Amino acid sequence: MTQRRPHLLGASGLPWILPAVAVLLALSIYPLIYAVKVSLTGPGGAFTFANFARLAGDRVFAAAGVQTLVLTIAALIIEFTLGLALALLIDSLARAKSFFRAGLLIPMLLPPVVAAVAWRLIFNPQFGVLNGTLRELGLNTASLLWTGGDRSALASVILVDVWEWTPFLFLLLSAGLQAIPPEPVEAARIDGAGAWQIFRDVTLPLLRPVILLALLLRAMDLVRIFDQIFILTQGGPGTATETVSLYIYRTAFRFSNFGYAAAMSFVLLAATMVFARGLAQIMRPRTAGVR
Amino acid sequence: MPRARLFWLRVFCVRVGLLPVFCLLLSCNRASERSLTIAVNAGVEGTALKMAASEWGAARGVRIEVVELPYANLFEKEQLDLTSRTGAYDVIMMDDPWFPRLGEEGNLTPLPRAPDADFVAPCLDVCRNPYRTGKYYALPYVGNSQLFFYRGDLFTRYNLAAPRTWDDVLAAARKIGAPGNPPNEKMYGYVMRAASGNAVVADFMPLLWAFGGDVLDSASKPACDSPAAVDALRFMLELGKYSPPGYAGFNADEVSAHLLESTAAMSINWPAWIAAMDDPAKSKVVGKIAFAPMPSQRVPGVGELGTWLLAVPAASRHAADAFDFMFWATDAPQMKQAALRGNPPTRRSVFQSPDLAAKFRAFPVQLASLESSRPRPRTAQWNEIENAFGIYLSKANASAMEPAAAMRDAAHDIAQIVNRGR
Repeated sequence: MTQRRPHLLGASGLPWILPAVAVLLALSIYPLIYAVKVSLTGPGGAFTFANFARLAGDRVFAAAGVQTLVLTIAALIIEFTLGLALALLIDSLARAKSFFRAGLLIPMLLPPVVAAVAWRLIFNPQFGVLNGTLRELGLNTASLLWTGGDRSALASVILVDVWEWTPFLFLLLSAGLQAIPPEPVEAARIDGAGAWQIFRDVTLPLLRPVILLALLLRAMDLVRIFDQIFILTQGGPGTATETVSLYIYRTAFRFSNFGYAAAMSFVLLAATMVFARGLAQIMRPRTAGVR
Repeated sequence: MPRARLFWLRVFCVRVGLLPVFCLLLSCNRASERSLTIAVNAGVEGTALKMAASEWGAARGVRIEVVELPYANLFEKEQLDLTSRTGAYDVIMMDDPWFPRLGEEGNLTPLPRAPDADFVAPCLDVCRNPYRTGKYYALPYVGNSQLFFYRGDLFTRYNLAAPRTWDDVLAAARKIGAPGNPPNEKMYGYVMRAASGNAVVADFMPLLWAFGGDVLDSASKPACDSPAAVDALRFMLELGKYSPPGYAGFNADEVSAHLLESTAAMSINWPAWIAAMDDPAKSKVVGKIAFAPMPSQRVPGVGELGTWLLAVPAASRHAADAFDFMFWATDAPQMKQAALRGNPPTRRSVFQSPDLAAKFRAFPVQLASLESSRPRPRTAQWNEIENAFGIYLSKANASAMEPAAAMRDAAHDIAQIVNRGR
């Protein structure tokens, strides 16, 4: 039996964790409390709910909220579907798995700002490589405005996000697939299950915790998307690609209204928590009747 | 407590105790040294100022530290510095629309003496708080005002006179942009910036003013839903028919790319792009672009003013050196150097200097445009107003809203912004 070593400063060791606690309070808790205070402070320093009340009548905030939701859900579904398909495909390969894995990760390794600048050039209707290639193939590109079109701008932003972040989901799901023990799959195969049945009834349930983690991480990132949109469209045309994060940034740093920006941040935080909770509920294993 | 523990505890205490002493000694050493910290825009305007600062520092024996930031970040950093009174910067470079916001509540130090009369008047007016009448808080360093760029060779080919009105511009755009005219030459009659925010507002303001409209009236109430403003927007959409597809997402780089690639014939642009137009490494239109003051319509045309100013924050700890540098950098000989480095001057004498006029062919037009230029509305809320206005202008250009509805909604949102600021 080993004897427990006494702490340098007393038995509790409390003094040693106090600096870490202080740092946490200073860097995390205090700014949060300060943001609450700022969001509840009016122009004269008086306590007010005016910043939260203003949100109800703010057309730009409403548009930004809807667009953030559409972008998050659309990008999440596409990225998850593609990521899972790629993970299954590459997992089934007999050779060159590492080569494909490394190749697929390249978009994710690029800084988002660099990727956005590259895509801005690619999307240019006249000089961009995308329309140029389509023209070479004999297609009429006159109506393909990409980020310049009121209806196509959000889809273009989603396309860039899918290109950049599908590898992230692929990576997590691929790791999840590798961690699945072979026995249940072999047992199902011996019992005569087909490939689709094995995927639906064995692989997918075993992959569920990884899927939940991957979707939660990606959803939280998508809700606060900023850099790609800032470079690609600045929220335009009009408010076609305005997101809540972009509007918060503008309100705080361009319009110097930190109270209203803080109020919007708290609404975004609450919405993110509700969204994450909803996602977790959907992904919760349904165990009724199965023991 | 065991001896070993006591020993390490003492070592720890001694080291922690010595740290403030070391920092104090370091700061004393720095304090005794003359230094100047300058915040500049990352771009040609800032490059010239950086070089000037380096020369001034070497001559005066002052250590120069230049903080170079992109346009948007520069405003944020300067605002935080000024409102928190940190004294991080001794000289700040700012775009003139920022002045009403950054200069409020005594955040800037008044100039120790008035600037001389050689500066172009609109550039000096924006250095005063209140506008035109108050004390001077800044000196104008870069004399930017919008110009009208057009293809002189194409105007000659189609027997067109230099555009004097916006109707002339539209007629020329129709003629030059006509399909198959000549064959194999893809040429748009006009190109403009209509991306949300500053871009579309900057390209719309000269039209709005030429039609007799404005964003705010003399009582600072929204005036952008006036018949003149709606007509101006309708005219902008008409010009849009002769612009490249997707112009509703265009910014300065797309507009200039069309001019440089010889795929568009006319645009509103800033003097910073003149050098690129005549640079064979970048341009297919060397010597072909002509420059004119802003076209007129119902009233004489004026370009938007975009002067870069230099000012000293109230919290600066080196105000005397800062002002010495500012007056030195904006004096005629130094401004001439800055002009050679690519900055449009703010002094009449520098524009009219024979050697510079021979080198920069657009200088006479630039001076005429600067003399008649108009600043954006002098309100601390301009950033927010411009953003709201830009959203609706961009929507109209993207065919997402009718012009009258866009202007009505813009006026509504601007009224809310103005009311909040009261």
